[in-house]
Amino acid sequence: MRKRAGRLAALIRKETIQLLRDRRTLAFILVLPMLELFLFAYAIRLTVDHLPTTVADMSRDAQSRALIEALVESKYFDVRAYVDSQADVVRALDSNQAKVGIVIPPDFAAHVARGDAQALVLLDGSDSFSVSSGYSAAVSVAQARALELASEKAKRMGIELHQTPITTSTRVLYNPDMSDLIFILPGLVALLLQMLAVLTTAQSVVREYELGTIEQLMATPARPLELIVGKLVPNLLFMLIVLAMTMLAGVFWFGVPFQGNPWLFAWLSLLFVWCGLGLGLLISTVARTQREAQQLTAMLSMVSMLLTGFIYPRAPMPTVIRLIGDLIPLTYFVRIARGIITKGIGLTFLWTDVIALLVYGIGILLFAATTAKKRLG
Amino acid sequence: MFQRTWAVMQKEFIQTFRDRRTLRIMLALPLIQLLLFAYAININVSHVPTIVSDQSMDTASRAFLDALTTSDYFDVVATAPSQAQVIRAIDEGRAQVGVVIPPDFASHVTREDAQALILVDGSDLFTSQSAYNAATAIARGHATQIVLRKLERTGLAPEGQRYLPLDTRVRILYNPDLKDLWFLIPGMIATILQIQTVTLTAVAVVREREVGTIEQLLVTPIRPGELLIGKIAPNMIIALVNMLTILALGVYWFRVPFQGSFGLFFALALLYVCAGLGLGLLVSTISQNQRQVQQLNGMIMLLGLLLSGFIFPRAAMPAAIRWVGNLFPLTYFIPIARGIITKGTSYEYLRSQVLALVVYVVLIMALAVRAFRQRLD
Repeated sequence: MRKRAGRLAALIRKETIQLLRDRRTLAFILVLPMLELFLFAYAIRLTVDHLPTTVADMSRDAQSRALIEALVESKYFDVRAYVDSQADVVRALDSNQAKVGIVIPPDFAAHVARGDAQALVLLDGSDSFSVSSGYSAAVSVAQARALELASEKAKRMGIELHQTPITTSTRVLYNPDMSDLIFILPGLVALLLQMLAVLTTAQSVVREYELGTIEQLMATPARPLELIVGKLVPNLLFMLIVLAMTMLAGVFWFGVPFQGNPWLFAWLSLLFVWCGLGLGLLISTVARTQREAQQLTAMLSMVSMLLTGFIYPRAPMPTVIRLIGDLIPLTYFVRIARGIITKGIGLTFLWTDVIALLVYGIGILLFAATTAKKRLG
Repeated sequence: MFQRTWAVMQKEFIQTFRDRRTLRIMLALPLIQLLLFAYAININVSHVPTIVSDQSMDTASRAFLDALTTSDYFDVVATAPSQAQVIRAIDEGRAQVGVVIPPDFASHVTREDAQALILVDGSDLFTSQSAYNAATAIARGHATQIVLRKLERTGLAPEGQRYLPLDTRVRILYNPDLKDLWFLIPGMIATILQIQTVTLTAVAVVREREVGTIEQLLVTPIRPGELLIGKIAPNMIIALVNMLTILALGVYWFRVPFQGSFGLFFALALLYVCAGLGLGLLVSTISQNQRQVQQLNGMIMLLGLLLSGFIFPRAAMPAAIRWVGNLFPLTYFIPIARGIITKGTSYEYLRSQVLALVVYVVLIMALAVRAFRQRLD
């Protein structure tokens, strides 16, 4: 037992020295995640307002102006140009000068008086974000304006009309201002961490294979599992430094509130990073060249970004796709990170994901160890 | 000069085609990615699990709940007696939306001061946004209906006539049925191509350096520029095959209509592929080992995915972040792909993007050659 511990310590020392010697890579590992965090935290805005808008107002009367004003006041639409016809509006959308077009036909005021006025809103259907925010904004602004006109009319006829018999107050739990950062940050930190964990281990093992040094390692009395653990430990420590840096930046610089228990989060992150390192190890034992490892990790990060619930919700995905997402530790940890950081909940609600990660961490390590043995044998 | 370049190309072709396994991976991965993501990503969230606490149980509250649930947006999965239990269900993750209707709803509706509370899980990005928008719009629509019915009872407007004097129609150009895939496929083709091209050439130079064969190449009369062009050639063919297969998958399997000119698309895709391969080469020449390549490559991929406008709208980003996005060819190609495939745009509207890509290719190749020369000294 003591002998084994000695071997392990020697291996850990070797890996740490190797890691610390390559200064540029080390700098990459420490700096890139921070850089990415800052870029994305500033870049990702989910609600789109101030959509560039082209207007064809063929009436130019009080009613048409009032409608356009109501739309502009909603802050969703920025009128960039006035044109003469619907064809010109379509051209503006074709050429990407506008994302939204508003067409008001002639004699708008007269039609409003008769109660059959129609306005047309055109949206650029090649851009899903503009469509979703433009659509609901245009419809609700126009509806509010119509209701206002109707109640004005009723008032003139002596009927007092309350515009809203029901008011709904919508409260967004955990994130009352719907701040994009609170949505993004927990998942983003988890994503960056996993990518880094997978990359560093995948590379370090494949490199030993390519350079042939793995044979030398195998000639020593160290067992495959010991080799693997020896490789993982120094990387694990580095990942924890990166995690601490990104989390501190998130909380103190970006002001994302940390609702839950930081210690619980730290322990579960350790487990998660372990799973990520194990996944990198698996990739490295499957891939024969660094080029293949490169391709596989690229694929993995795309999958992680799109299938784990970090950006797109998992609920509407087909079952097969959800199962593929289950193969990635990030899927479980996105829920854990959001649960602890944003919702402030504890193990009572998160235990299923924690158990999943535990099983994953042990399973992937054993799997990687057996594939490594097979490949060398 | 041509002869020397040709010789390098031959060497690269032989090297590429000899490693069948890697070649298969390179040809298959983009297809697998497109298949996965096209099925996975669902922008329009519907059937959000909803928990209801109806403390009135009268006709008005039921009508309100009906309006919410018939919309397909909300699926009632449970009912609860109190608001606290609704919040608990959202904490646990059993529901993502909660509706709380206080007692005596019907009498409040007649008195026109009814209030309903909608709680939204703010830890999940897309779901909370769409649930928020949908709930607000439906509630407002329902309130309008009540006002109109009241108006009808007063006899202000004869039955059968429209009560709202103003009607807005919204038309979505290019994608009238709001099909997710029509939004996604063009951007996804562009994204997968950039990842693929950068990955293809990113190891080209580093590998020769690590294995030591770069010295052998340098003692031959080949110039740096010729060497790099020779290295790009076989990768260009692989990337073009990738482009055609994923485009065919999108058009024939996922039935995304191709509106514009295929010849134009092919020519611009060729340009785009060159830009991506050039970026990969630059990464390869400035890195010391494959580990660094991997890190830089991972970063380019993430940045491309998040800053290029594929997922998040560029219009909403701060200027500095938009600038960073301009460093990636993907940013220029996404408007081209969406323009030609979805909108059927002709060349004249894409001129600025095309020009940007041309400049990009020239610059990136010049930079790669320069960096390569410097590294040799």
